[in-house]
Amino acid sequence: MKKQVLNCTVNDEAVEVLVKPYTTLLDALREDLGLTGPKEGCGTGDCGACTIHLDGKPVASCLMLAMQARGRSVRTIEGLAKTGTLHPLQDAFVRHGVPQCGFCIPGVLMAAAAVLAENPKPTEQEIRYGIAGNLCRCTGYTKMLTAITEAAGAAARREG
Amino acid sequence: MAVMKTTRDIKGVGDPIPRADGREKVTGAVQYVADIQPRGLLHAKLLRSPHAHARLVRIDTSKAKALAGVRAVITAKDMPQLKKKAPTRAHAVLAIDRVVFAGQPVAAVAADELAIAEEALDLIEVEYQVLPVAVDPLKAMQPGAPPVAEAGTEADTSEALAHSAVALASSETKSAKAVNISQQATVKRGDVAKGFAEADHVLERTYRVPMVHQGYLEPHAVLAQWDTVGNLTLWASTQGSFNTRSEVADVLEIPENRIKVIPVECGGGFGGKIRALCEPITAELARVTNRPVRYVMTRKEELEAGMPAPQVIIKLRTGVKRDGTLLAIEADTVLDTGAFSGTVLAVSAVFLGSMYKWPAFEIRGMEVLTHKPSVAAYRAPAAPQTIFAIESHMTQIARDLGLDPIEFRMRHLIQEGDPMVNNQPWQSNGAKQVLAKVAEHPLWKGRKEWAASGGKEGRGLRGTGFALGGWLGGLQPTSATVRLNPDGSLNVLTGQVDIAGTNISLAQIAATAFGVDFDQVKITTGDTDTAPLTGLSAGSKTIYTVGSAVLKAAEDARRQTLEIAAKEMEASIHDLEIRDNKVVVKGAPDKSVTLASIGKKGNLYMSKVPPVLGTATPAFSQQAPGFCAQIARVEVDPDTGETTLHDFVVIQDVGKAINPLGVEGQMQGGAVQSLGFAMTEGLMFDDNGRLMNPSLLDYRKLTAADLPNIETIIVEVPSPSGPFGARGVGEPPIVPAPAAIANAVEDAAGVRITELPVTPERIALARAAQGTGAS
Repeated sequence: MKKQVLNCTVNDEAVEVLVKPYTTLLDALREDLGLTGPKEGCGTGDCGACTIHLDGKPVASCLMLAMQARGRSVRTIEGLAKTGTLHPLQDAFVRHGVPQCGFCIPGVLMAAAAVLAENPKPTEQEIRYGIAGNLCRCTGYTKMLTAITEAAGAAARREG
Repeated sequence: MAVMKTTRDIKGVGDPIPRADGREKVTGAVQYVADIQPRGLLHAKLLRSPHAHARLVRIDTSKAKALAGVRAVITAKDMPQLKKKAPTRAHAVLAIDRVVFAGQPVAAVAADELAIAEEALDLIEVEYQVLPVAVDPLKAMQPGAPPVAEAGTEADTSEALAHSAVALASSETKSAKAVNISQQATVKRGDVAKGFAEADHVLERTYRVPMVHQGYLEPHAVLAQWDTVGNLTLWASTQGSFNTRSEVADVLEIPENRIKVIPVECGGGFGGKIRALCEPITAELARVTNRPVRYVMTRKEELEAGMPAPQVIIKLRTGVKRDGTLLAIEADTVLDTGAFSGTVLAVSAVFLGSMYKWPAFEIRGMEVLTHKPSVAAYRAPAAPQTIFAIESHMTQIARDLGLDPIEFRMRHLIQEGDPMVNNQPWQSNGAKQVLAKVAEHPLWKGRKEWAASGGKEGRGLRGTGFALGGWLGGLQPTSATVRLNPDGSLNVLTGQVDIAGTNISLAQIAATAFGVDFDQVKITTGDTDTAPLTGLSAGSKTIYTVGSAVLKAAEDARRQTLEIAAKEMEASIHDLEIRDNKVVVKGAPDKSVTLASIGKKGNLYMSKVPPVLGTATPAFSQQAPGFCAQIARVEVDPDTGETTLHDFVVIQDVGKAINPLGVEGQMQGGAVQSLGFAMTEGLMFDDNGRLMNPSLLDYRKLTAADLPNIETIIVEVPSPSGPFGARGVGEPPIVPAPAAIANAVEDAAGVRITELPVTPERIALARAAQGTGAS
């Protein structure tokens, strides 16, 4: 099958890349653009490890074709913070020792960032539902909740 | 070994230090196998049998080979090393003339693109003659059942040995001759018949636990590449690179020193990434194509053809006096091992027969082969299933006799020196201290108020339950080196794969033992060409054993450093200490040499000062059991059985929390895996041996929305032999929840669920059966 030209924005930069019509957005990011932060844990949208932002909304990039991102804005874990800095969520995850094996973490962070973008002061229940699409097998989620709650507080303080 | 005394406060053992790789992990920078893309990479796919038991009549790969972009298609015929009687699952690389579980590989493809490899699979023609299957282990062990193994295949007890959990005397574990019974062991002591004859209360129940998957988020993955002189490099997601090397060498019949296993960041293992699975076939595809080949299992393949935990059926019968005096226990344990032998029978016997002091016991264990994917370890293999039985039983006995379930247990709980079922003494442990913490906890103290608040004002039925469980702790020889650098910093080298955050703890141990801050220490997990030999990251033994090696190697490096300094300053080594990155004479702080100057002289042209390299190569004989109790507070919908977990507490004796942050993470994560066993997980097979729930939508793992915060209470009863008193931490927290939840549900809803998972359906049906549920 012939490749097609995909033009979109990835982590604030305009990109142009050739992809097969059947290539998923996840594969295009990982294999063609070298952004291996998003992970494939299931390929069927059940585990959340491939979560990215498309026009600011969290999506499972394994369930989308790359060409569906044409003209749109994609953000991956690599673009959550400016190079060399950490997003308050990332910083809180490190300090609270959240990551264990780490495989789910890029997806969890993108889901959590989407929760905070929509609702800067979420309740515990809102955080839990916000990351309920992201499976983690190592942490039991407790330290994630602590870190996200703290980061939300920090963000709220900054705004207030 | 003695607990180290440090001369000043340095940041090291006992401090909650975030792990060094945290930043890499939150930025997506850390590389897993599937993230590595060498030039010329080929992608592998395996054609898997749709049938659980079939004869391979014919395989035609010619159309697949002709597809553009396909670089190799191989079957068992292309691998003369493969034998009909595969001694382990790892050896069953490709089926030769018979498949014994659905999902068993029959052909392998390497192609330029994954999509091409997938298309090639569709072009391979396989003619199967479908054979009768043995799916239910109780039927599989009956005479006349369809046989799984080739005649004469031996039992594989290496899983038990790898975990070093406990050995039963060799005469006690023997390969049985009956069809599909691959291991059999009986342990007994005392007069069981007399015990039951004298009992006032006899309780018999059968507990059932389905196969469950370890559930690591990163599927099995490996990248293989050969060089021009016949050396193989494997980038592997493994819990033990030396183990992977040995297995691949054995299967492919090549010398171990020709294989370099590079342990890439492991995206979760939990026992499922100990044994080789897809490494040999990927290496073979790389060899025949002379290209780097990467194989990543899909989630469907993981669930259908991974190496899950065994299905376990335990028929348990106890006899006690009215006052709770224990008399006799009798158990029949059946472990469904799938198509290849590999369960840990002995663990089950130890906890059934000797967690409490039964004067008479007879524990019969049996491993049964079935036409299902073969099993492997899953965090504390066989312990959660066993504890589900014994701890459900203990609470039920206490309820039947009107006894306090904690006092009843405390009266009979083992302590150091009491004999296990194999007559070995229990080592020092904190079982009683952990159980005592349950009694003190507000959730337990408030259980009556909680129960009374349920069932009214629209609330469900409320209850509280707990269970105690443990793990004996694995042992394996290991080695480590500690090097002093020319700038005074330290490098620690081991071959130990960090699957649980152990590297930061090892750095803390090295820092404290040497006398510097932990950030002076860099720890590296080497590959099998360069690292000193070490064992598996399994059995809760990394800190206990590798921590000991790092401690000794750091002490060795410290001794060498002090000897050099003593010579330079013409002082006695006994008058020296290390502080502020200097060796100083005690009481004369102006007399000192820096660690940097000592390190520098070890690497100076024409210098006569030797480099400092501490080494340690310990082997071990003494285990350090770790006990864990969990308390659950639940609310059960009286009509639907839907169960909400309101609170959950993990109380665990860790000996010494080297890094409390990491310890809490292990306790919380283990607890949630345990709750998965308890509440939602189970691989479901149909009568033909096909998996009915091969996706993460249908194989239900717990999410953040299902759970409360997990409270952790760390108990520290120092082990006599672990570094700084540490015990194994990883496995105990996966053990108690199934029994804790079943006990809590019984307390709330008045029904005893004896089959996992404890689903709303099972609760509702049980209530309907006893006339208390919805009509």
